Amino acid sequence: MKIDSSLPLEYSTEENRLKIFGFWIFLGAEIMLFATLFAVYFTLHTRTGSGPDGAEIFELTPVLLETFLLLASSFTIGLGVHAMRLGNKKAMMTFFIITLILGLGFLGIEIDEFVTYVHEGATITTSAFLSALMTLLGTHGAHVTFGFFWGVAILIQVARRGLNPQTANKAFIFSLYWHFLDVVWIFIFSFVYLKGLIS
Amino acid sequence: MKELFPKQHVMGFGFSLLLTIIALAVVKFDMSYNIAFAILLVTALAQATVQLVLFMHIGESEDKKTLYTTILYSVFVAVVTILGTLFAMIWGY
Repeated sequence: MKIDSSLPLEYSTEENRLKIFGFWIFLGAEIMLFATLFAVYFTLHTRTGSGPDGAEIFELTPVLLETFLLLASSFTIGLGVHAMRLGNKKAMMTFFIITLILGLGFLGIEIDEFVTYVHEGATITTSAFLSALMTLLGTHGAHVTFGFFWGVAILIQVARRGLNPQTANKAFIFSLYWHFLDVVWIFIFSFVYLKGLIS
Repeated sequence: MKELFPKQHVMGFGFSLLLTIIALAVVKFDMSYNIAFAILLVTALAQATVQLVLFMHIGESEDKKTLYTTILYSVFVAVVTILGTLFAMIWGY
């Protein structure tokens, strides 16, 4: 294993560089996955049947809170990677823990939102609009949930083994994933919630 | 403490909050649907760019050309998927 010490740890070997490269390609595939879900949503969002439409069930306050939590978590994980490059393990772990707590907050609000919908009689089987909506939101939420456990696993590894080319590479790839989920959320926030509230 | 908060990231966070507030204008003010949609499109794309460039450091490694190509190609496929679906299913062709 040839280590190039002029680069940050996560890029320091050929294998690490290729893993990061491969993950970017995976994110390209994820973009297309969410694009198909958005395509379905835009096709079906007027098909509300006998159920409510977006303007009736969307509430701005929790959505804004979700947006803020996710944007903030994207910021803190960026700071975590920066701290990792400074070799500051303690600061890196602190920022990653803050990120995961913010992520949990996001999930809590989203779960509460789904429960509220179901209580209002807006379930996934009510109309084509709600099927598409919950599939889109649920897929994003499932990604965040998966990311939370992934992040916990990485924190355990960093705590046990410290910062080395392997753990740094894993942590960096996880940060790419987390930022990506933030990008997807921004599109959900803009074209599902805000657009739903005005039309 | 100060070196833990690099300027680029703090700026990026500031931008993303600002763009969120701008996007909120479509709900708070009365405007035509087309203008509102244009605002949403611009702010969302700007947000995505902030994340990619300032947070994900897409341009930091020697692979940057390939990475940009990959992401742009995926975005292209995404746009074709969405517009193509609307073209066939909604706009009545």
